[in-house]
Amino acid sequence: MNSTTSQSELETDLQFGAAGSARLVLRGRLNAQTATVCWDELEPRLRGVKLQKFEVDADGLEFCDGGGLALLRYLSMGLMTPEAAVSVHGLSTDLEQLFHGFTLADYKALHPSSAVKCHPLPEEVGSGVRQAASDVREQVEFLGNVTRNLVPTVINRKRMRWKEVGRVFEAAGANAVPIVSLVSILVGLIIAFESTQTLAKFGAQIYVVNMIGIIMVRELGPLLAAVLLAGRSGSAFAAELGTMKVNEELDALKTLGLDPIRFLVVQRIIAAMFLTPLLALYATFLGVTGGALVAFGLGFPWSLIFHQLTASLRMSDIVFGLSKGVAFGAIVSAVGCLRGLQTQEGPSAVGVSTTRAVVTSIVLIVIADAVFSVLFYVLKL
Amino acid sequence: MNDAAETIISVRNLKVGYGDTVILQNINFQVECGEVFVILGGSGSGKSTLLKNLIGLYTPLEGEVWIEGTNLVAATGDERRNLLGKFGVAYQSGALFGSMTVLENVRLPLDELTTLPAPLKELTALAKLKLVGLASSVQKMPAELSGGMQKRAAIARAMALDPRILFLDEPSAGLDPVTSADLDLLITELAHHFGITFVIVTHELASIYKIADRVIMLDNQTRTIVAEGRPADLKESSNPWVHRFFNREPDAVASGLHL
Ligand SMILES: Nc1ncnc2c1ncn2[C@@H]1O[C@H](COP(=O)(O)OP(=O)(O)OP(=O)(O)O)[C@@H](O)[C@H]1O
Ligand SMILES: [Mg+2]
Repeated sequence: MNSTTSQSELETDLQFGAAGSARLVLRGRLNAQTATVCWDELEPRLRGVKLQKFEVDADGLEFCDGGGLALLRYLSMGLMTPEAAVSVHGLSTDLEQLFHGFTLADYKALHPSSAVKCHPLPEEVGSGVRQAASDVREQVEFLGNVTRNLVPTVINRKRMRWKEVGRVFEAAGANAVPIVSLVSILVGLIIAFESTQTLAKFGAQIYVVNMIGIIMVRELGPLLAAVLLAGRSGSAFAAELGTMKVNEELDALKTLGLDPIRFLVVQRIIAAMFLTPLLALYATFLGVTGGALVAFGLGFPWSLIFHQLTASLRMSDIVFGLSKGVAFGAIVSAVGCLRGLQTQEGPSAVGVSTTRAVVTSIVLIVIADAVFSVLFYVLKL
Repeated sequence: MNDAAETIISVRNLKVGYGDTVILQNINFQVECGEVFVILGGSGSGKSTLLKNLIGLYTPLEGEVWIEGTNLVAATGDERRNLLGKFGVAYQSGALFGSMTVLENVRLPLDELTTLPAPLKELTALAKLKLVGLASSVQKMPAELSGGMQKRAAIARAMALDPRILFLDEPSAGLDPVTSADLDLLITELAHHFGITFVIVTHELASIYKIADRVIMLDNQTRTIVAEGRPADLKESSNPWVHRFFNREPDAVASGLHL
């Protein structure tokens, strides 16, 4: 049983001899393309065949590139004919040298094991819980660290870089005004518009103003401001600090004797704590305006709308909203900075940090919101 | 081994820069098949910029780059893709893909551009990595490698498809003398036994003497080639800057150090 195949560039000649021996003669150019064709031809004929002796004669090879060498190595390592003693001869001296630079032992040592490690469920759960716990621990540690540094840094005028605070104030606050305007006025309009349908059934359409007033001042104003802040600026903080970490800039700060918390984090948190209540106030104002526009569209005069508003809102509602704004601002900026500082090595690390910053911020904002509601209910404010 | 007289790269009247800023002009040189051609110059003299113009990453302000008889500057579509397939490039910073292991990085060109069966792709990639001495780190992520290891992995990736020409930007920067000498040996072997042409940017005097067949030297002031020839010839050059460079003498006047 023998066969000769010739392609344009490579001639392959495989002959089976007596007593489980075979001989392959290669002639021509063995490159990535011809090696592929050669493989397709040899594999069905050799794999699974019991051979004792397999000889590869490469004397006629004029050219052999890395792909070709790989084929010769694969054959000579006996990966296609596991039981046969394989010999390759006739290589030119240069090729021979290159050929022997990579042996079966190398292959066995380097070949990545394809088995995917699968952990048992308890182990998965355990490591998950441990991770969550250490994350909480890090957050608490960070909180302590920031609190400890906040007052001394703010008091010390030299250490507090007010310019940086101003820059953050502009980037995270002033530049956010257009998007906050758009979102809050639309949210106000939509809520008012949707609820008038229900209120109309009771003939109580005018109360849409009371409702939008309470919702915006106590809940949605601060919440919208905080969520937009998390998306726009919490992520930016994480990306800024994360990039500094990846570029070893944070290490450079530390070796200069500067504490990143004092140098970078405090400024951002201070700025956010001032600007978020302002943004929240602004969002509230526009949201209420949106609701008022709907009421006006329903035919109520401005004076009545204004009267309803002032009658339904107390000063404590506004204080409630503003204090939420301060807390949300602190949460978003602190989480953004923490995630930035936690950035791992590698190119995708900054992206991971920004995502985590936004997700954690929003989760914590909602939790804090719930805590505030309970607190104020208990305090009867 | 190839015919020594065959020209593989020919650069004619090249002018390169960024926007209106001219970095280099009047660049003319030819690279012969199978030779190790070294581009020298002080830091910031435009070596990397020149290299990026040679490989078609940037378009030169003026001039032509002929590679194997095709003008890369004017080539488009299939012609250009075909030409790009003929050479491999290892960038100054390594430029490994951070989301893949070292092995996957080297396998990538094989996966995307050849039809080899999977075991042979892996074998090829592993052999290239062994060649650059990275055998023990094939499963690591690039971020877990040192700077010099990243550079070697980048060279392995550039060699994956057995290109006819290899462009290397500062291959031995950041390597220890032994590894650097291994790399020099690899380069000369590949060039002299397999006819691969190398265009290398480097500062390493020691390795220039060992590997370079021919050198061109760029100059910060005149923004062009100030010297061309064999390393031994340049050592005896009458140009003071070239002389200082090859003899490692400080530029005391320029640096303001009067000891
Ligand atoms: N993207 C860019 N835009 C504008 N100018 C650039 C840009 N990249 C480099 N340059 C300028 O081009 C000049 C040459 O830079 P290049 O990176 O080519 O130097 P080099 O010779 O490779 O230096 P080194 O040995 O330090 O790597 C420098 O003056 C640099 O400021
Ligand atoms: Mg450079």
